[in-house]
Amino acid sequence: MGTTASQLSKESLSEYQELTFLTKQEILLAHKRFTELLEKHEKDQIDARVPMGKIITLPELKSNPFKERICRVFSTSEQKDGSLTFEDFLDLLSAFSDSATLEIKSHYAFRIFDFDDDGTLDCADLEKLVNCLTGETNDAKLSSTEMKQLISNILEESDIDKDGTVNLSEFQHVISRSPDFVSSFKIVL
Amino acid sequence: MAGEIQRQNSHIYDYIGGNGYDREDQSLRRRRVSSPASDQNYPHFNWDSTPEDEDEDSDGGPKRDIRCIPLPMHLRRTIREVQQMRSPAVSRDVSWRGRQMLRKLRNKCKEFLYFFSLWRKSVQMIGGNFGGGVQSYFVFLRFLVVLNFVSFFLIAGFVLIPSVVFRSVATNSTDILAVDNNLNGTNRTAKCKVYEVNQTTEIYQYLLDFLSGTGFMEYSYLFYGYYNITEMPNRDSYNIPLAYILTAVFYFAFCLICIITRMGSAARVAVATGSSTGVSSYSMIVFTGWDYGCLGDRATKLKQKNILYQLQVDLEEESRKRHEADLSTSKKVILYSLRVLMTFLSLGFIGGAFYGIYVATQFSQETTDKRKIVQLIIQYLPSMVITAGNFVVPLLCDKLALVEQYSPSTTIILALLRSVFLRLVSLAVLLSTLWSRITCYPEQLKGNCTLCEYNYNEFQCWETRVGQEMYKLTMFDLLITVAVFLLVEFPRRLVVDNCSCKPVQWVGRQEFVVPSNVLGLVYGQTVVWVGALFCPLLPAINTLKFVILFYCKKITLFQNCRPALRTFRSTTSTFFFLVVLLFGWGLATVVLIYSLSEIRPSYGCGPFHSSNTMWSTVPGSFHNLSNVTQEFLFFVGSQAFSIPLFALSIVMMCYVIALATVYGRSIALLKAQLKLESRDKQFLIKQIESLSRQAHIPTHRAGVQD
Repeated sequence: MGTTASQLSKESLSEYQELTFLTKQEILLAHKRFTELLEKHEKDQIDARVPMGKIITLPELKSNPFKERICRVFSTSEQKDGSLTFEDFLDLLSAFSDSATLEIKSHYAFRIFDFDDDGTLDCADLEKLVNCLTGETNDAKLSSTEMKQLISNILEESDIDKDGTVNLSEFQHVISRSPDFVSSFKIVL
Repeated sequence: MAGEIQRQNSHIYDYIGGNGYDREDQSLRRRRVSSPASDQNYPHFNWDSTPEDEDEDSDGGPKRDIRCIPLPMHLRRTIREVQQMRSPAVSRDVSWRGRQMLRKLRNKCKEFLYFFSLWRKSVQMIGGNFGGGVQSYFVFLRFLVVLNFVSFFLIAGFVLIPSVVFRSVATNSTDILAVDNNLNGTNRTAKCKVYEVNQTTEIYQYLLDFLSGTGFMEYSYLFYGYYNITEMPNRDSYNIPLAYILTAVFYFAFCLICIITRMGSAARVAVATGSSTGVSSYSMIVFTGWDYGCLGDRATKLKQKNILYQLQVDLEEESRKRHEADLSTSKKVILYSLRVLMTFLSLGFIGGAFYGIYVATQFSQETTDKRKIVQLIIQYLPSMVITAGNFVVPLLCDKLALVEQYSPSTTIILALLRSVFLRLVSLAVLLSTLWSRITCYPEQLKGNCTLCEYNYNEFQCWETRVGQEMYKLTMFDLLITVAVFLLVEFPRRLVVDNCSCKPVQWVGRQEFVVPSNVLGLVYGQTVVWVGALFCPLLPAINTLKFVILFYCKKITLFQNCRPALRTFRSTTSTFFFLVVLLFGWGLATVVLIYSLSEIRPSYGCGPFHSSNTMWSTVPGSFHNLSNVTQEFLFFVGSQAFSIPLFALSIVMMCYVIALATVYGRSIALLKAQLKLESRDKQFLIKQIESLSRQAHIPTHRAGVQD
């Protein structure tokens, strides 16, 4: 693998294997793809950050309607600008990997859908979510009556304590009944 | 101490939660967030916990998987260091060491299998571009390829290679056919033993014989008739007949185990989700509907259109159901009578197809023609009629479905059930026609069976003949697929792309319809199962056929198909495919049991020519086993063993059912309790607000937090 392998030491590799759900090949591949996004002078820095604009050029994320939300959720930067270090990137891939548990996936899915970061999914969050899912730029989108009906149906089905919002436990309850979620919440490089 | 913990915890919340915690308003959510004990939304790591009381901690044992904590990596690293610092003795614990080794072993195995996964990249690309439904078809196809390949090794190891070895080694093998004392009456034995194979003479004959399994292919390792008992000098030689039967039986059992294991995880999910497999509720679509593996703009737009379509259809169905409940009685009566009529019509179509297959099979067995091409067509007639029926009848049933006006999900399920019924039972009709001819079931043939107990005049070696029929079905299926691929799909795309007239554009590019393709696979696999006893190399041929099919379908998918608007759900469809495959397996098992135990094997060919039925070899060699083994097997088969076993299984089943009922009831109770708690909370909040208003104390964040 040339120079990239020497940049990722054996100890860090085994540490990452312990701390994430990724296999050795996946971590090495992630390292390779991440260093391609770095500038020349940043390639030797340990904690180099890649801005969000570059992360979303990755082919796996490029057309994902949630790409900005994903970057923001996994970012640990102080300015909350969605930039990722290599460890954030590994966190992202670990949550989206094959072997991640349902618990982890549903936790991060909830945070991705929580557009205003307040800890619950209220009507505004749900409306933005539905627009992302159906592509609001298209001519064909749900009419406002359909949207209202849809949101009230969603709340009726998933809001157990009837407070008008969906919190994490209610979200996880819905997710646990879905057979497809674990296999569709996957991004593989 | 408590305050310190609270401060530490709220530091984590502030860190993770972003802006939500800086607002000054009095919303209910903020109150929930500011009390750490009741917070459910963000990860709560108990810095104070010690290893001893972590057994009561809901977070799990002392080595709760560090990866399952949803925090950023540097925090996880810190937590791990804290854990390791606190419990250094645990790292020398034997069981923990064992668990670590097990996990390392599992990781190594996964990495190893990573390289061996067949067509991994192709399947991933298909899933990203066309969705989970189409991907599940290719995953199913890959499973069948691997199953056939492994079965081929099984058969080769136990039947083929010993036969090859014995044939080459046994130079002085007296032809066992001549040395046979068990039959009474030399007339019968002499006449029934004659087995002549037409030799291939002309060049073009080779192609025809290759396609129909006659001529040079008939007396070869491909078919049952070639395998003989070769007498070896020592008595304890490899018993080929026994090996043949036991391999066939074991092959069926092996396939069953593979299918059930594969169904295992899908079944668990299907059962757990219960009734929601048929109903796609709104929150399910919205929360779990997005496929993050979608690659490219085209696939994303398609997925978005898909989800929009699903939501609109569901909303429309809901409004229609509300509307239908208000239908007048007369309209309801008309609708129901129409539905009954359509059901009868569809049964009529299917019955007509069956009759056609029956007539074609009779015709094909009875007539022969001098001209080779016509003879070939006559031989392939049953396959052609089956294919035509499987093509025409579902089209007609689709038109019927438009009249019936069931909801879309019901329509799809009905269409699938009709197709499954049609395919498998048409194969069953073909087989029963064939078998009835062999055993002289029709009245006019009764005379043929008196001499040799089977229809000797038509079938000198009936097992090879059956093997040939199955071989022909397989080859025909492959030829049709390749022909359609080359002659229909590519030209259709060229015409649609280059000609812009209205009718052509209305027809459009073809869609990759998953259900009918899957049924084709199940049909092919069932044919192979039925034929495996009589044509031992059929699984190998089938492996090649499915590999060719994979590449053909993949090329067609990417070049010629437009993506389907209505897609199939992936997990429930995998389960459904395997259930249908089990139906096919059941049909093949019935055929196997009937052939093994009811029909007398041919006198003139094969390893069983001296037994009354194929199965009787097994009890025969049973007596060669040692006494202890015999006693043991008798005991296992006796009532003293099976009745207690049966009773025990019933008890286990009752226990599991009771457990499931209890869990369901506790879930309902917990849901009700959650509702009550939230109502209590809202009531208390209202009380506090009214009290504080009365007392004229402005409600403030600081005042609340003590």
